[in-house]
Amino acid sequence: MNHHKYRLIVPFLLPALLLYSVFVLYPYVQAFYLSLTSWTGVSANKPWVGLKNYTTLLTDGRFLEALGRNGQLLIVLPLGTILVALAFAAMFTQGGTGIMGAGFYRIVYFFPQVISAVIVGILFQYVYNPRYGLLNTTLEWMGLESLTRTWLGDPATILWAIAFVFIWGAVGFYMVIFIASMQSIPTSFYEAAVLDGATRWRQFRDITLPLMWETIRTALIYIAIQALDMFVLIQVMTGGGSTAASRNAEVVAVYMYVEAFTKNRWGSAAAVGVILLILTMLLSVVIMRVTRRETYEY
Amino acid sequence: MIHGEERRKIDQLFREVADTGMSRRQMIQRAAVLGVSAQALTLAFVSGARNAVAQGGDNPLGVDPEAPLDIVIFQGGYGDDYAIFVKDEMYSRDFPDAEIEYVGTQRLQEQFQARVVDGNPPDVMDNSGAGNFNTTALFSEGQLANLDDLMAAPAYGQDGVTFADSLVQGSQQEGVFEGSQYVLKYVFSVYGIWYNQALFEEQGWEYPQTWDDMLAMCEKIKTETDMAPWTYQGLYPQYMRSVFDQLVYKNAGWDGILKLDNLAEDAWTQEPAIAALTALRALYDNEYIMEGTEGLSHTESQTFWIEGDAVFIPCGAWLENEMKDVLEGVPEFQMVVQPVPSLTAEDALPFSAVQAAAGEDFIVFSQGANVQGGKEYLRMLFSQEGARFFSEATKSLTAVVGAAEGLDLGTAFASVETAIAEAGENQFVARYAGWYADLDEESRLQMGNLLTGGATVEEVSETLQTLTNELRENPDIPKFTREAPGAEATPAS
Repeated sequence: MNHHKYRLIVPFLLPALLLYSVFVLYPYVQAFYLSLTSWTGVSANKPWVGLKNYTTLLTDGRFLEALGRNGQLLIVLPLGTILVALAFAAMFTQGGTGIMGAGFYRIVYFFPQVISAVIVGILFQYVYNPRYGLLNTTLEWMGLESLTRTWLGDPATILWAIAFVFIWGAVGFYMVIFIASMQSIPTSFYEAAVLDGATRWRQFRDITLPLMWETIRTALIYIAIQALDMFVLIQVMTGGGSTAASRNAEVVAVYMYVEAFTKNRWGSAAAVGVILLILTMLLSVVIMRVTRRETYEY
Repeated sequence: MIHGEERRKIDQLFREVADTGMSRRQMIQRAAVLGVSAQALTLAFVSGARNAVAQGGDNPLGVDPEAPLDIVIFQGGYGDDYAIFVKDEMYSRDFPDAEIEYVGTQRLQEQFQARVVDGNPPDVMDNSGAGNFNTTALFSEGQLANLDDLMAAPAYGQDGVTFADSLVQGSQQEGVFEGSQYVLKYVFSVYGIWYNQALFEEQGWEYPQTWDDMLAMCEKIKTETDMAPWTYQGLYPQYMRSVFDQLVYKNAGWDGILKLDNLAEDAWTQEPAIAALTALRALYDNEYIMEGTEGLSHTESQTFWIEGDAVFIPCGAWLENEMKDVLEGVPEFQMVVQPVPSLTAEDALPFSAVQAAAGEDFIVFSQGANVQGGKEYLRMLFSQEGARFFSEATKSLTAVVGAAEGLDLGTAFASVETAIAEAGENQFVARYAGWYADLDEESRLQMGNLLTGGATVEEVSETLQTLTNELRENPDIPKFTREAPGAEATPAS
């Protein structure tokens, strides 16, 4: 009987497994292999160097600094995005329909999500332009000239100027997810809480938040993974230039790109990729462990 | 079909025919001597008459007229109309049976890396722009075809001139690796300082001859007008690094440049380098650089410059073509270029010395299916006909001697021609950045640092010297050396 079952299952699974192996597993294995060579990326010649790429990376101050920037983003991006998205979601669902014009805002805040990251990056290059940009001219108009900066040309501001753009673009998406999660909480819970005299804040803290915890957790992991990447936005907004400012916005993924495409050290770039993969997996596991709570069913 | 020995004999016969122009009778006699059968000879005439004729004077590289050709062109600031012209109007005219695969793109490495690695590359490529292959890496991996036979071949459509002699002297120096030509540079460019001639006439200004004059003029501009004296391509400080190279060259001559290129122990600490860095730093210290410059891209800063926000900008001769859309809105603008001012009054070389370099790197892949066809395409591109078309379309000079003669293409073009003529033999280009990617990146960054107050002259000099020393000692990095152009005339071995 069992034998028959497998005879049916295997042919169905095999094609999918094969495709998965070829297009997903194999590239990982290949990347790992490349990371043990000094491949220049322009010929079939791949000299074996063992773990040299890894040891070089781990003593390379520039790589470690890039890693440090990912660490900073790892704190700022999830925190910023989730807090703002939660606040908007709460405002737009409050009492069923939310504040006046909530429907309009919901759509507007979702807009950035339908624009590609490259376009968003270019748009914000205009916003941050030191001479005619929206930000500096607005500051000047408000009489705050002392606050104007060359946002993307100043080593002190560039990373945060780009982090803001990420949050701006991501808030709408998480807001929509949070709204869906909030709306699925039965209104009777709130009615009971109101009868007991709970304030809006207590309702949010003790009913809304615990009941949507799973959603927030998922968001957290997702944003954390994005914080370890950030390649597109940074590459676009620094213009691929090499200045002190753009170096201060160099994260691991950008470093990998430079190793591969400008230094022709594809072996080393592959090693960076492998390290990034391991870090991403570790991080996901850690976040899942740390944020585990008792789940409520309703 | 004719094969092997027979084929070879027929080829030889036809080559002799083309070279000596023998009569039909003589040819048949010669065929008998060579031992070619009448049948094979007839077949050869029918199937490969064009091939046979082409093997002679019209086809010095021995291109197979029926072999397909695979062309990839960088579609950047110069567009690719010129490359299509050569493909359609020249290559297809001479080899109507060759099928041509053509791609114009900006993402060379991304699109073609897999094919190059697999040993199935295109035949000929304009390997330029930000997405290009690293030429040095390609050479080190043996991917580039040796172009010495092309250099020795007759120039296309010119009697009695070799291909090498048809090009501006010294223009192809950068494409030489280990004594052989591997890269051909098409567009001849002069680097210098650009300004608006109309503005200078209106204000009664004279272009400064020394750096002290330059600083004095900057002070005057700063105090008397609402323009900024200088701007540069902020995100890409390599434009200012080229000003640095020029100051060193003028001040110290080849000696200074060779120290930089050959990773000398005092490359960045030599007196001329320190003096040049100090000269550039003065632009920042005196607030002569347009506010916000460091955050601007090349096109943004060049736009502000054209709109009159700044007086001077460093650039190469592609500037006019790159900015033609903006220039249309400012018709009174008269773009001209001048050499970077002399660093001191006692410089080794005269004011007229310039950085003149040919750009747009054309390569033929050694593993391409039609290597000779690739070279033939370049022979056509670098011909009078091909180069003139390019100059007219882009208002830019090529490395082909005399191809733009008599063309009236505006003030920028004329000033470039003048600069080259006045420079005479005093033309150079530094190569350290092209040879060593790490030094390229770090020197850009340090140049930006210097001009935004992020690092002092001493710090920049020290950082770059340390890196230079590291590169010199690192056995994993392929090294290159060069000698002054006079010395290069005598081959080392």
